[in-house]
Amino acid sequence: MNTTTLQIIMSIVHYFFFIFSAVAITSYIILAVISAIETIEYVKKNSFVNYKEILSSTFSPSISIIAPAYNESLNIVENVRSLLSSHYVNYDVIIVNDGSKDDSLSKLIEAYDLIQISHHINEHIKTKPLRKGIYKSTNPAFDKLTVIDKENGGKADALNMGLNISKNKYVACIDVDCLLLEDALQKMIKPFLETTDAKVIAAGGVIRIANSCIVKDGKLLDINFPKTWLEQGQILEYLRAFLLGRMAWSRLNGLLVISGAFGLFDKKIAIKVGGYDTNTVGEDMEIIVRMRRYMEDEKQKYKVAYIPDPLCWTEAPDNYKTFISQRNRWTRGTIETLKKHRKIGFNPKYKSLGLLSYPYWFFFERMAPVIEVAGIIYFGILTVLNEVRWDYTFAFVILAYLFSVLFSIVAIVSEELTYHQYKKKSIGFKLIMIAFLEPFVNHPYILYSAIKGNIDYYFYKKIEWGTMTRKGMTKA
Amino acid sequence: MNNTKKIVLAEDNSVLSLLLKFRLEKEGYKLLIAVDGKQAIELIEEHNPELILTDIMMPFVSGLEVISHVRNKLNTQTPIVVFSSAGQEEIVLKAFDLGATDFMSKPFSPHELVIRVKRLLI
Amino acid sequence: MNENLYLLESLKHSSPIIQLAWGLSSIFFIIILMLIMYLKYLRNHLRENEKIKAKYQEDYESYLVTYLYSGNEDDTFSSEQQLIINELKKCVADPFKRKIIISTLLKLRNEISGEIAESIDKLFIKLGLLRYSLAKLRNEKWDIIAIGIRELTQFKIKGVHKIIMNNINHPKREVRKEMQLYLVHLYAFKGLDFLNVLETSLSEWDQIQLLEVLQLNNDTEIADIRPWLKSSNDSVVIFTLKLAKVYNQFEAKEELIELLNHKSEDVRVNVISALSHLNIVEAKNILKNNFNERSHEEQIAFLKMMENVYENSDKPFLLEHIHHKKFEIKLFVMGILKNINFEEYALYEVELKKMLTA
Repeated sequence: MNTTTLQIIMSIVHYFFFIFSAVAITSYIILAVISAIETIEYVKKNSFVNYKEILSSTFSPSISIIAPAYNESLNIVENVRSLLSSHYVNYDVIIVNDGSKDDSLSKLIEAYDLIQISHHINEHIKTKPLRKGIYKSTNPAFDKLTVIDKENGGKADALNMGLNISKNKYVACIDVDCLLLEDALQKMIKPFLETTDAKVIAAGGVIRIANSCIVKDGKLLDINFPKTWLEQGQILEYLRAFLLGRMAWSRLNGLLVISGAFGLFDKKIAIKVGGYDTNTVGEDMEIIVRMRRYMEDEKQKYKVAYIPDPLCWTEAPDNYKTFISQRNRWTRGTIETLKKHRKIGFNPKYKSLGLLSYPYWFFFERMAPVIEVAGIIYFGILTVLNEVRWDYTFAFVILAYLFSVLFSIVAIVSEELTYHQYKKKSIGFKLIMIAFLEPFVNHPYILYSAIKGNIDYYFYKKIEWGTMTRKGMTKA
Repeated sequence: MNNTKKIVLAEDNSVLSLLLKFRLEKEGYKLLIAVDGKQAIELIEEHNPELILTDIMMPFVSGLEVISHVRNKLNTQTPIVVFSSAGQEEIVLKAFDLGATDFMSKPFSPHELVIRVKRLLI
Repeated sequence: MNENLYLLESLKHSSPIIQLAWGLSSIFFIIILMLIMYLKYLRNHLRENEKIKAKYQEDYESYLVTYLYSGNEDDTFSSEQQLIINELKKCVADPFKRKIIISTLLKLRNEISGEIAESIDKLFIKLGLLRYSLAKLRNEKWDIIAIGIRELTQFKIKGVHKIIMNNINHPKREVRKEMQLYLVHLYAFKGLDFLNVLETSLSEWDQIQLLEVLQLNNDTEIADIRPWLKSSNDSVVIFTLKLAKVYNQFEAKEELIELLNHKSEDVRVNVISALSHLNIVEAKNILKNNFNERSHEEQIAFLKMMENVYENSDKPFLLEHIHHKKFEIKLFVMGILKNINFEEYALYEVELKKMLTA
């Protein structure tokens, strides 16, 4: 290879990295602006909503909360109690014990006076069979509760069992350890009832991080800011994603993912598309993509809604080991989903889903870490060859760093202007600190786990229940 | 004054409980105010009141659970009046199943509440 | 100093793209600094606000309760009440305090009825708050107009419906909805007249709200719902079907049966459910005869109806569908058969088990 071809290749590589970064940054800015406009509008409109009527109406639609549980013995009784305390009237709670090896079931039976009942299951979706069966409470105060004990089949399989059992029009699929605020259901159901020009097939909510928060009897009593950088960094990351990203995608009707921790679905459509996919670790993203694809194929007008209110609080990993395995799983989930539905990508038939959402996810979620690492390796090679132009390096590294800090700070400002959840005095300073630190303390791990996810995906395909060691939320 | 009758009021609307406290204390009762069901149960266990007024929809421990606790765990027959909102008929029925004595649908007239309280505490 | 100059000098000679990068970096840096300062101010401000708000709220709550219990027997204001009115009037001039006063009044107003509620409405006018609400109706921002209408609704200010009706075709649905709620809150069934001219669609959410508000009203005089059943606005028809259910409108029987052939499936399903609720048996025979032509949703709705009004004579019809290819329908049919005749059902039960285990 002579020098000129090498130079040409190198400049192509340079242009590629440069254009990729420029497009990424531009799209972030555009999304943030759309989000800001949309959030302000939402907060304004929401101030008019009176949720009281929906709570008392006999015409309010029925909702089932489906919460799969696997070895959750430590907190299961508390968690179920929190799910049972929703203010919505027409709802029930289905706990699917997915072949837990611990004493979850006996704890539930004791705490809620459960007895076994017989029940015909309409098996719309094939699932693993029941183990001990279906339980209901003898205490009328808990008659909303159904507990299903089935053979282990994974989270998706457990959710499918819930879909089969539910008799209600809508299903809220949530993680059992999520803390759901009491007004969560009425807020989530609103877009389904309110939209008249399209069919709302699903609605996603915001996930907030409950680490260090004080939870008592299934109620969020006090919001605190956790101590470790890892947890703080994740809070910032969630604020950015939910306040500056998803809101914009919902405006563009391009949401590809509803967090598995809390989402509300039109049951009929969820069943029609075959329920959750048991062969992926990213079942929460996959079902949305499949439902959207179905609606596009059917040529029906539809929407995936998004509610920015902080309604669902969950425990985030507090150590790097679980953090890495969680992100690894997310990466694999994204790869699997995008691969399974690659027909959508860049396909004009699927309009904005194929031409906007899919490409965005492909390049900036799926490929971004790979490209970033490739860039770092390339930079390393150039350094060894002494080909680095340091004046460029400094200028752009600082520019990129400042941009990421700025973006985080904008997220913090929008949080303060809208929900202002972190009210305590010292937290403001800590939030700003972490905005400066996060690129060093969290980002490398995110990158590492994304790469590991890619490697695991291509070399060791494996499916497992997220083995996050439950430590329980801080007790008051 | 040992014959002052005690009433536990569980209601999360601060101004409504203030109003009812004012009104009922004027009638010579002693009011103990709880802001949620949990607190109500604590007050009931501690003071053993002659009457319990509870809202049906409250943060965390609902009025239903308060009733259930009083009737099944404490095994007392203290009269319980529940406050419900329009359209909560089903929950009210459940409250009666659990052993509620009477109910009042919000918005209600404080005057009428006093009449009912008096009747229950004769 | 010299070094700085040297850096600037070298920047001047570097390529434009580097200059651009540094330029952007400086801009970002300045914005970051400004945002941090703003954040500091904002957080302090919000925190202080919350404290002050809680304090005021507590004050106003006790003022309000004292006011309500210090009235004279006749309708005049007692001196103590007059004192409170004067005190509150001073606060009303301040928009921040005004908001808290209104929310305090409402917090109680929404939960009670009778004399005390009326007394709160009077206080609202007496404090001059009505003037502010009416001024809001002339505002240009839609959200302010909507707030104005809502305040008038909540304090039951009658007699301003003409001004409020100006918003019947307001482009923002939030404003239209507040207007509808005002009419129904204050004039109950008479307020529903807007349905005659409604062109936009009434969402399920709106319908639920209107129904709930209607039910709050003790007025037993129910309007004639029949014209709305013929509305060209499908959402109005569906809403009226709900009215028919809630208020048991047997009078509209013929209109309801006619709607079984409505062009919209949604309407048809709702009609079946309304007919079922009203126990109109004639409809059963009509539906039995053209069961197979109806959509799945209608069939399910009909079988739900059948569950309540089955007779022995329905057996042939049910037996005809016991092997229906749709599991859901089969389950319904078997359930009804079971109710008609227990012994025969035992046979079906065996079959059902077979099917489930297959």
